[in-house]
Amino acid sequence: MRQQYARRTQVLTSVMGFIALAIIVQMTRIQNSAEAAIFRQQASNYAYELHTFYPDRGEIYDRNGHLFAGNKSVYEVGVDLNIVKDPQAIASAVSVGLDMDYSQVLGDILDPADNVSYVVLADFVEAQKALDLQDLKNALQEQSEAGVLGGLTGLEFKSHPQRSYPENSLGSNIIGFVSREGRGYFGIEEKYDTLLAGNPVQALVPTDPNKAFEIPRVLNGTTLVLTINRDLQASAEKILDESLSTYGADGGSIVIMDPRNGELLAMAVTPRMDLNQFWNYGTIYDKASQFNSAISMPYEPGSVTKILTMAAALDSGSVSPGTTYLDTGSILVGGAIIQNWNQEPWGVQDMTGCLQHSLNVCMATLSMQMGAETFYGYMDNFGFGHLTGVDLAGESAGRLKIPGDADWYPVDLGTNAFGQGVTATPIQIMMAASSIANHGRTVTPHALYAMVRDGRQYDVPAQFAGSPISEKTADTLSGMLAVSLESEGSLALVPGYRVAGKTGTAQIPVNGFYDSTQTNASFIGWGPVDDPQFMIYVWLERPSASIWGSETAAPVFGEMAAKTVILLDIPPDSIRQQLVAK
Amino acid sequence: MNIQNVEYLKHAYKIAPWRVQRQWLGNALLVVVALAMVATLYLDVTSQAAIAGREIQDLTASISDSQQVSADLQTQLASLTSARVMEQRALDIGFRPMESGEAEYLAVPGYSVLEPDILSSAPILQLSTLTIPPEYNESLLDWMDKKIANSARRVQ
Repeated sequence: MRQQYARRTQVLTSVMGFIALAIIVQMTRIQNSAEAAIFRQQASNYAYELHTFYPDRGEIYDRNGHLFAGNKSVYEVGVDLNIVKDPQAIASAVSVGLDMDYSQVLGDILDPADNVSYVVLADFVEAQKALDLQDLKNALQEQSEAGVLGGLTGLEFKSHPQRSYPENSLGSNIIGFVSREGRGYFGIEEKYDTLLAGNPVQALVPTDPNKAFEIPRVLNGTTLVLTINRDLQASAEKILDESLSTYGADGGSIVIMDPRNGELLAMAVTPRMDLNQFWNYGTIYDKASQFNSAISMPYEPGSVTKILTMAAALDSGSVSPGTTYLDTGSILVGGAIIQNWNQEPWGVQDMTGCLQHSLNVCMATLSMQMGAETFYGYMDNFGFGHLTGVDLAGESAGRLKIPGDADWYPVDLGTNAFGQGVTATPIQIMMAASSIANHGRTVTPHALYAMVRDGRQYDVPAQFAGSPISEKTADTLSGMLAVSLESEGSLALVPGYRVAGKTGTAQIPVNGFYDSTQTNASFIGWGPVDDPQFMIYVWLERPSASIWGSETAAPVFGEMAAKTVILLDIPPDSIRQQLVAK
Repeated sequence: MNIQNVEYLKHAYKIAPWRVQRQWLGNALLVVVALAMVATLYLDVTSQAAIAGREIQDLTASISDSQQVSADLQTQLASLTSARVMEQRALDIGFRPMESGEAEYLAVPGYSVLEPDILSSAPILQLSTLTIPPEYNESLLDWMDKKIANSARRVQ
């Protein structure tokens, strides 16, 4: 009996063991079969998903740490169609909360596109509005009975960053804007778009939440610190707006630069736009060049160019400050008669008198005396016809016709000398004039002071663009310009500060002829003359109160300079010289 | 005790049937305990990895939220201190813009002109140099696979 049991047990054990062995063999076979490899491959395809980590866009500050452009949270409001309980309630809440059309919202929920389980009702919703809706959803959920879904079940909120401009329209022409697709347009936003946007990082993220993975380190976009002084910018815009009203001008610009290093301190233009509502761009501007006319809109600058002609004449040795000539009121150049602005003779004048009375005949005489090669050589060195390289998007180079060009005529040698027949932007003329204010060295205008990335700050050094004239010529001419302003009692003068500068009144060509009733009034000046710390360019388009730059742009310069010395803490000359002497 | 008695006792001990059964049982138990230990270890490691994974996800979300909140607050602060708002506040409490002749300048020995703010100081630690050790994301089977592959490579 006992042996029989033992035998049965052995048989049973053998059978069980065989079955177990068969299972193990089968498992091993399946695990290593060709089908298993396919399944493993399929599983591995879904084990990880490629995820793109987008960095936050870098911020933009003014030189004193005031935020010009940052990021804020906005919301995408949508509906999860799989769990919607009451479409009418959602449509009602969303239409009221987000000022949307009720029937449109309801239609989106009830009649979605095929195979869609989530519908976006609105995007870029302000945080407060989205949070109010979220509170309403939560309140309805709390009020509903236990186990019953609230009326707004299915309404979903997803936050994401959006560009924000706390200063609204202040400095809009410098900053530019970022579209909803994240691309920068105009100004700093476009010029440094790649730096600001940063580099997205792609990484394989395991779909299994139980698997730990290394989060890639995504560096935020580079933060930029501008050379712009926010308070000076605000003052410049205010003064520009007031002057447009006072002088009845169509538009204008005021640009303030440090002539020692090319740092742009302010750049006010009209019109401006609220960058937080960039979608209004098309209604504010007719063409892209209007966004920042100070760098994008070349015009015939007129008599402000005379300082460059005089610089060339002095530097080439054609004349000296004391050189005199007899002004007869007109001169024949290339078969055309060039006259003074008042069509009157001014008699014997020295070079300071030429500048003080802004004599066209004198300038035409100088350019002819220098000859086309020398004159245009200097103009080329001053940067006419070339981009300045200012770090703002959309710069235009203007035009300087030179001998050999199809549209250059001998009379151009005379008219170009006083700023007619040549086009340039305010920033170009400032760059050219910086060589006079900065003792012969031309600076490259720029708006970027520093970059901050990965916890490190990199200061942008000043760049110089050559020395078209000698230091002696520059200092001599500065003095002559200061004397000419003082002699005529210019409205550009600033009590307590010695400034140098020049007005410009340029007739505007209409249908191929200059219209004497429409002018561009300009003024370029800098100070204090013995230690220039600011250079200001004023441009008023078609002022109706007076066509003359001396009566419109010059007083605007005076007002702007008076404000600038306060905001930049520049003491009056007498005090400053005392401080230096100590 | 003589040798014969010892041999006798040893023989009697060896042929005792319960002794054989106990050996089998002991071996089986040993295998069960070993398997239980491996299973426990495996569960412990995987649960720790899962917890770590969850914590990383939570912390990532938390960092992201904090950064968004920080950006929002920074923008709000900038809006509240914008040039237009500050000018209006100053006017409301009775200030007015200064005229150029009203400024008084004093010579202060040792005073140096304020330079623009430096927005950043010490560099942030290079987090990317850290890597998660394989113990945190490797399953027991992965570990065994790796060991077997290494051994095979060594044999070759």
